[in-house]
Amino acid sequence: MSYEEKRDEIAEEVKPIVAHTMPFHKKAAAKIVYITIVFTIIGVLLALFLPTHMFPFSMSPEMHDAVLTFVVFTIAAAPVAALVYAIGAYSLIAWRKKGANNNEEPPEDGAPLHGSGLITSLWIGTSVVLVLFLLVWGMAELSAETAQQSNAIQVNVTGQQWMWTFSYPGTGVTTHNLILPEGRQIEFNVTSMDVTHGFWPVEMGVQIDANPNVIDHIAATTNRLGSFDVRCSQICGLYHAYMQTKGTVVTKAQFATWLASQGASSSSIQSYALSGK
Amino acid sequence: MSVTDQQMHDSQDDHGHHGHYEEGGNHHDTAQEKHRKEHMATWLFIFGDVVFFLLELFFWFYLRANNTAGMWRATNCTPANGKLGPTDEGLNTCTDGLFNPITHAIPKANPVYTIIVFALIATAAAFVWFAEVQSRKGATKKTTHPLTALALFFVLAAIAAQFYQFQVLPFTTIQGTYASTFEFYMGSNVAHFLLALVIVTGLWSRSRLGKFDNGKWYQLHLSRLFLVWVAASCVILGLVTIFFA
Amino acid sequence: MSTTAPMLLEDTKLEPKAGGFYRHQNFLTGLIVGILSGFVGWVVSLALLQGSNFGSDMVVTVTLTCWVIGFNAGMGTFNAIFRWILGHDQTHEDELYAAGVGQGWKRYWKYCTDHKVVGTQYLVLVMVLFGVGGTLAMMIRTQLLSPNSRFMSPETYNAIVSIHGMIMIIATIIMVSGPFANFIMPIMIGAKDMAFPRLNAMSFWVVVSAVPPILGSFFLGGVPAGWTTYAPLSVQAPPAMDAFAITICTFVVSVTVAGINTLVTVLTMRAKGMTMGRLPIFVWASIIAGGLGLYAMPAFLMAQSALITDRVVGTGFYVAEQGGTGWLYENTFWIMGHPEVYVILIPPVGALIEIASTFARKPVFGYKVMVAGISGIATLSIMVWAHHMFTTGWAPTLADPFMLTTELISIPTGIIFLCMVGTIWRGSIWTRLPMYFLYLFIFNFIIGGITGIYLSDVPADQYFHGNMFVTAHFHYTLLGGGLVGAMGAVCYWFPKVTSRMLNERIGKTAFWVVAIGIQITYMAQFYEGFQGMARRVANYNALFVDANRVSSVGAYILMAGMLIFMYAIIHSWRHGKKASANPWHAKSLEWMTLTPVPLENFLVDPVVTGPPYGYGEPDSKPVAPELPVPVSASSGGSH
Repeated sequence: MSYEEKRDEIAEEVKPIVAHTMPFHKKAAAKIVYITIVFTIIGVLLALFLPTHMFPFSMSPEMHDAVLTFVVFTIAAAPVAALVYAIGAYSLIAWRKKGANNNEEPPEDGAPLHGSGLITSLWIGTSVVLVLFLLVWGMAELSAETAQQSNAIQVNVTGQQWMWTFSYPGTGVTTHNLILPEGRQIEFNVTSMDVTHGFWPVEMGVQIDANPNVIDHIAATTNRLGSFDVRCSQICGLYHAYMQTKGTVVTKAQFATWLASQGASSSSIQSYALSGK
Repeated sequence: MSVTDQQMHDSQDDHGHHGHYEEGGNHHDTAQEKHRKEHMATWLFIFGDVVFFLLELFFWFYLRANNTAGMWRATNCTPANGKLGPTDEGLNTCTDGLFNPITHAIPKANPVYTIIVFALIATAAAFVWFAEVQSRKGATKKTTHPLTALALFFVLAAIAAQFYQFQVLPFTTIQGTYASTFEFYMGSNVAHFLLALVIVTGLWSRSRLGKFDNGKWYQLHLSRLFLVWVAASCVILGLVTIFFA
Repeated sequence: MSTTAPMLLEDTKLEPKAGGFYRHQNFLTGLIVGILSGFVGWVVSLALLQGSNFGSDMVVTVTLTCWVIGFNAGMGTFNAIFRWILGHDQTHEDELYAAGVGQGWKRYWKYCTDHKVVGTQYLVLVMVLFGVGGTLAMMIRTQLLSPNSRFMSPETYNAIVSIHGMIMIIATIIMVSGPFANFIMPIMIGAKDMAFPRLNAMSFWVVVSAVPPILGSFFLGGVPAGWTTYAPLSVQAPPAMDAFAITICTFVVSVTVAGINTLVTVLTMRAKGMTMGRLPIFVWASIIAGGLGLYAMPAFLMAQSALITDRVVGTGFYVAEQGGTGWLYENTFWIMGHPEVYVILIPPVGALIEIASTFARKPVFGYKVMVAGISGIATLSIMVWAHHMFTTGWAPTLADPFMLTTELISIPTGIIFLCMVGTIWRGSIWTRLPMYFLYLFIFNFIIGGITGIYLSDVPADQYFHGNMFVTAHFHYTLLGGGLVGAMGAVCYWFPKVTSRMLNERIGKTAFWVVAIGIQITYMAQFYEGFQGMARRVANYNALFVDANRVSSVGAYILMAGMLIFMYAIIHSWRHGKKASANPWHAKSLEWMTLTPVPLENFLVDPVVTGPPYGYGEPDSKPVAPELPVPVSASSGGSH
């Protein structure tokens, strides 16, 4: 056998081994990386610009956190989605084959790849890192939100079929429209008179269920003047859709005036405003 | 062959076929193959039943720990003051499911009946087990039939005892969560016992026909597994109601 | 093959009268006995119980329980028990009759034990259920076209929302495991039938008996509490709620039995040489989903039976004044509810992996990793349930652990994507209709999966819980992912089940209309969620009208696509081109037998020598080399 023949014979023998041990197809991988980067950039841009326009006016740091989390998680997820979409798109561009006999018969087989320990490990490793990031972010955020501030004021929320009632303990004031002072942490003590409702002051970015015979608590800090919606987020029967009301965040002075106009004595307003656990 | 159709295709026979096709589709599982499948299915069913059972325990301990409105056994309720509706902070008012005020703590059920019920079903399970052991040794219906008859008697007795316990309970379902969960347990016992009744009736009937003679113990075995589970769950639930009332 | 045609069992002649009355039982006798039993139950309970405290609930419960038992008795479900007790074991003739031999089309209306008949029955039932659930959905979207619509009263709307949800949950649980884990899976493992053919027929007819009660709920005051029916609202609800609970308790029996049947079949009836490591991924998916359902369904039974007792005998499990708490219901429900969505998702994912392999002409990428991933999802799904309860006020200290377990699920979910894209990597993509659904799944499930991650973050969930963002998320995953996978499975196995080719032109039209409809409908709902619209509302603020209108238009488009798809199925089933045994030139065992499939699936026992993914290797052997491959008319052989 001549040198060339021997060389070609060995090359032929080696081809399937090479194909098996090197699933990394350089040209395709490069193109896919390129497409992934393009998709990621699109995703990041969407994440940076869209949510702030789609979410309502943020009226508390908790709401701001929710929006920020959305943006950050979208940015973190963008490369993952981009990569999967890129491979899918590329496969239809470069690897699509028309079958024989007017597509009635399948085309020639693809590469006999059964898996790759390296790719699998990289993929799982990246997932783990991403999950850890999400978890740490979430835990930090949650503990910041649940931290009690010393000047929190109490608002009692009672849900019933199908309206909300708010009261300010100690002042004797009860209302159906939630008036709150600006710049304070509000601790909502929520209960229900009948079935489970969902107390959701939308633009405050928090919610908690109103359950009968229990009082549960959620806190939010008001950092903006303006009005917000209070909706019921847990189906509670016939007029669930109508179980909403308006809330307003006013200045501290306006709040005190309003309490007085509702019949609260000035001493009770004083102790109410200073209270906090 | 001179055997009857029934005997030839009796599910307990071993044809000596080992799972291959024959023309005309005369394939049957061997008795061992059939038993393997049924055995696995029995354990899988018991697994599902165990999940339900664990949730029953969860209900008991969760409601007892929560003691919402003091109504586990109404031990913290103030005497009747006529108040209805949701509790206000600081006041304990207790009403039953029809808004009658509750004026005393709900008494515990008498443990004697609980013990009688689980003793009866355990005895039934024991007789099935004994019948299985005898069948494995090659006993005929002379032995297995009376044993399964006794098992049937004890299942019926357990059902009757459970209904009797229900009659003599010192509370009703509407009187708090101890009462509710206790009665739920009784209901789940009855459901189990009724299933056991169907199975043990079949065992009694089939033993009379000689279906478990000469070492054909498979179906007794599977029934025993289920009956033992029924008895075990009844015992555990019963002990919970006695010691964690 | 031999020159004389082998005797097919279905050609056996049987005497219909020989077996007694039970050979005359069918759907009609089931209906008659069911309605009569229900009527008797109604009259008796009315007479005995009407004056009592919980009378109307008791009457409804007894009536509908009598319906369920009566229907099944009339169908012949309980015959085997009586025969066993009496010692009248089945003869060979009985078995053949039960398998539908000699009955032609009538066997589809009877208690037929042939797994292929049961699979076909499930396929039709699933289509009917999606038709009903889909109609309810269109009523919802029509109502939501304008903010103050009076198309429906709030009571009717709430009832429709609740039943739409539950019917769809039932339909999606059985949409792949019903038709294909029954019809195809036993053939895939080289078995002749399921392990328990009579239980197989039972699980089908039990689902059928479960449907009328939930539809009857509309006439009993309507269920006001969503498909999740949280207590204490569900304890207060009209008798419609009892009907709902009966449906659930009945349905649970079916799923439990089906799960046991699937597991035992795969674990004990594989053909010689079919080791667990050579199982097609779809079979792994079927058993994992079956086992998960076996774990989850008892929880549903517990939650709903305690609800029934609260309503019918006055127990206090969920009633605060009596010592109970709605949180107990919520926990028990979601202990079922979260694994249940994976019971829904895992079988379509398994089917799509088969499709990916066949239409990329490549082996499955990372077979073992894929099995580990699916098992991981199933295992983790048991530990995440309270992420549905982040805003309920229950156990705030458990928020972090459940956030952790929920976020961990994205790891095995990522593995599924890895194996899907790894299978199409460097494949030879043959874009026939089933493959279209794989790509749509990937597109939709990325969106659905990532939006789930936002919900798993507790502070973000405090905004998103109970709003339309959640609705959009689960529709993207269950419909955009699960249902799309089921549609792919239908297209893929259509030739084997119906012996005809699905018309691809109509099918592809349906595909594109559905694909576009999904994006419009649910992207608009994400937007509604951002804006702050709550779920399950009959009317809404004018603020949300644009997004709702867009979503409703999208829903009409989606409906059109589904109708076209249904038309494609029905038209092709009746008039489609005759299919060869292996039109996709696939490698797994179901394609190695005749079409139509003989009664005992194979004429010769298959002996398996390798996994069913031998693409791209020139010296790969067929999965069962000794099996005579059916010569098909249109193609020139097996490869």
